[in-house]
Amino acid sequence: MMKIVGVAACTVGIAHTYIAQEKLETAGKKRGHEIQIETQGTIGVENELTQKQIDEADIVILAVDVKIAGRERFEGKRIIQVSTEIAVKSPNKLIEKAEQVVNAQK
Amino acid sequence: MEVKDIVDIDTIKTNMNVKSKEEAIQKLAEVLLANEYITDVEAFLKDIYAREAVGQTGIGNYIAIPHGNSDAVQKVGVAIGITEQEIPWETLDGKGVKGIILFAVPKQNDGSKQHLKLLSLFARKLGNDEVVEKMLMAKNAEDVKAALI
Repeated sequence: MMKIVGVAACTVGIAHTYIAQEKLETAGKKRGHEIQIETQGTIGVENELTQKQIDEADIVILAVDVKIAGRERFEGKRIIQVSTEIAVKSPNKLIEKAEQVVNAQK
Repeated sequence: MEVKDIVDIDTIKTNMNVKSKEEAIQKLAEVLLANEYITDVEAFLKDIYAREAVGQTGIGNYIAIPHGNSDAVQKVGVAIGITEQEIPWETLDGKGVKGIILFAVPKQNDGSKQHLKLLSLFARKLGNDEVVEKMLMAKNAEDVKAALI
């Protein structure tokens, strides 16, 4: 079991952001991980990550098409960064990739 | 307010007989106009196609989510179309599209935050494979709404 945190943010901030969030959280939980994806969209930041969650996370997934707020929070963490399209298209593969990255460094 | 409040039975069209993306978007925009979500089809479509130019709105699983912010929008909402046959669309999984969700979002949205929040919860549902599957099987507007809430 891994602890995964991440951020989703798309260009318009209406649709892809939230679809990516749902897909990643579903895919992560399906594989037995603890996962929370913060969204940064038109309505602002939702499902905000705490610094404690970030500190405890094994890996960070950024599904972003735009510059995000608070990127410095993830400094020093292992980060996988993709577009929201990739997160929407292949959420399971992305989680598997995160597992590989974490396992390779153990 | 809940997600069901953003899904309007009057802006859901099933068994749509359309052959192309352009035709589908046009028809759904007309539905939004008729139900007073937008004030001008042409101006609205211009903003929708500006977003289309940036990247694929076909998210896979036969679903497309054309959207964009537009001054022609006076009320936050969505029009949903389920087509009779698969139509060609640029999609993430290379398949066509059978369910189109056209988002109406105003450019100035200071007064609509609560509705936009509902829209984000609605968008999340489109990331759920079971919801999508049920929605595509729907034969009428009530079934579509039931699948989404």
